Amino acid sequence: MDVLATSVLGAVEYGGPWEVPPIGELFNFRPLPGLEALGVDRVVLMLLLSTLMICAFFYAATARSRIVPGRLQAAAEGIVVFVRDQIALDIIGPKGRRYAPLLTCFFLFILVNNLFKLTPGIMFPPTGHIAIPALLAVIAWLVYLGAGIAEHGFLGYLKQTCVPDAPKGLLVILVPIEFLSNILLRPFTLAVRLFANMVAGHMLVVITLITIHAFLTFGPGLPVGLFALAVSPLVFGFELFIIVLQAYIFTLLAAVYIGASVSHEH
Amino acid sequence: MHLPFILAVEGAEAELQLLPDVAELIWGFVAFSLLMAFMFWKVFPRMNTAFDERGAKIQGQIEEAERLRVEAEQLRRSYEEQLADARGEANTIVEDAKAQAERLKADIVARAEQEAQQITARARDDIETDRTRLVSELRGQVATLSVELAGKIVQRELDESQHRALVDQYINELSGLN
Amino acid sequence: MEGSLNVIGYGLAAVGPGIGIGILIGKAVEAMARQPEAANTVRTNMFIGIAVVEALALLGFVLAFAI
Repeated sequence: MDVLATSVLGAVEYGGPWEVPPIGELFNFRPLPGLEALGVDRVVLMLLLSTLMICAFFYAATARSRIVPGRLQAAAEGIVVFVRDQIALDIIGPKGRRYAPLLTCFFLFILVNNLFKLTPGIMFPPTGHIAIPALLAVIAWLVYLGAGIAEHGFLGYLKQTCVPDAPKGLLVILVPIEFLSNILLRPFTLAVRLFANMVAGHMLVVITLITIHAFLTFGPGLPVGLFALAVSPLVFGFELFIIVLQAYIFTLLAAVYIGASVSHEH
Repeated sequence: MHLPFILAVEGAEAELQLLPDVAELIWGFVAFSLLMAFMFWKVFPRMNTAFDERGAKIQGQIEEAERLRVEAEQLRRSYEEQLADARGEANTIVEDAKAQAERLKADIVARAEQEAQQITARARDDIETDRTRLVSELRGQVATLSVELAGKIVQRELDESQHRALVDQYINELSGLN
Repeated sequence: MEGSLNVIGYGLAAVGPGIGIGILIGKAVEAMARQPEAANTVRTNMFIGIAVVEALALLGFVLAFAI
C-alpha cells in the first residue's frame, strides 16, 4: 500500500491549505510490507535500481566495443575518461590511475542516486538519507587512510598528515587541530555536504510543488500559484546543476584527500 | 490531502534522521559493492582493452603515415634527381649540337676559303699559261710573219735559218721593251 | 513559533559562507580572466574551495533540524 501511495502520480487535490509537512514525513520511509526483517524500504530499492541501471548502461555501452565508438560507447567512455583525466590524474597525479575506478564508481553512484530526486515517479534522492553519504564517505576515508599508510607507513602517514611545518611551540595547538580536521572531520564533512545539499534540494522541490498545488487554482492566491509554476523550471534546472555539481565535488574531494595522503609534501 | 508523490510515509518519525540507518548502510554497501564488482568484472577491463586497441590502432596509423611520408619523400627526391639528370642531359645535348654546328660551320667556311683559293690559284695559273702560250705563239707568228715579210722584202738573199737568229734577237729586244 | 530560533541560527550560519563563496568565485573569475590558459586548474581549485566553505553553511542547515 505504501509503495503505491508514495509512487503514484496525480490524485492531488488542488487549492488545499499551504502547509509544509513535518520533515520526517518528507524523508523517512517505513520498510516495505513483508520485508521489515531485511529493512528494505524504498531507498534500498532505489539503491539497487541505481546499481542495476549503471551496470546495464555500461554493459550495453561496452558489450560491443569498437575502435570508432558509437554514441552509447562514447558517452560511457566520456564519463570514465572525464573522471580518470580531469579528477584522478589531475588531482592525484600519476598515482591516480589506481584510484580512477573507485572514483568513477563514486561519481556514477552518487550522480544516479541524486538524479532520482528529479525522476518523475520517484522524486526522492537516496543520498538524502545520511546512511548513503556516510557509507560513501567512510569508504573514501578508509581508502585514503589505507593509501596514506601504504605510502608512508602508519607513523609516517600520521606525521605527514598531522604535523605541519611550524615552530615547536605552535605544534602543541596545531597537531590536534590537524588531526581533528584531516582524520576525523574530513569524512564527516564529505558526508554532510552531500546529505545536506540533497535534503535542501528535496525540500526546495517539495515546497515549490506544494506551493503550485496549493495556489494554482481560481482564488486570491492564483498569482502566487502562477509565479511558482513559472519559476519551477528554474528550480528544477538549479537542482539538476546541484545534483551534478555535488556528485562532481564528492568525487573531487575524495581525490583531493587521496592525493594529499599519497603525496610526499607536507 | 498530502501530496502522495513527493511525500514519504505519513506516521514515520517526524524528525530528520541524522544518524545512519543500519539497514540502509548495509544495503547501500551491498549496492555499491555490486556496482564496484560489476565495473571491475566487466566494464573496466573491456574499456581498457578498447582504449588500448584504439591507442594501438592510432599508433599504427601514425607509424604507417610516417612510413608513407618517408616513402613519398624518397620518391620525390628520386624524381627530382631524375628530373635534374634529364635537364643536364638535355643541356649536354644542346651544347653538343651547338659545338658540332660550330665545328661544321668552321669546317665549311675553311673548306670554302680553301676552294676559293684553289679556284683563284688555278685561274691565275691558267691565265699565266695562256699568256705564256699566247706570247710564245705570238712570238712564233711574229717571227714567221717577219721572216715572210722580210723574205718578201729582201727576197732570196736572205737564208731563213741564218736570219732567224737575227729576228729572234730583235723580237727579244722587242719583248724586253714590253 | 517553534523552531524559529533554529532558522535564525541557520540564517546566521549562511552569512559567512555566502560572503566567502562570493569572494572566492569572484577571485576565481578574475584569475581565469587574467590567465585563461590556467582556467581548468583555477576552476577545479574553485570547486574545492567552495566545497570547503560551503560545509559551514550546510552544517548550520543540518543543525537547524538536529537541535
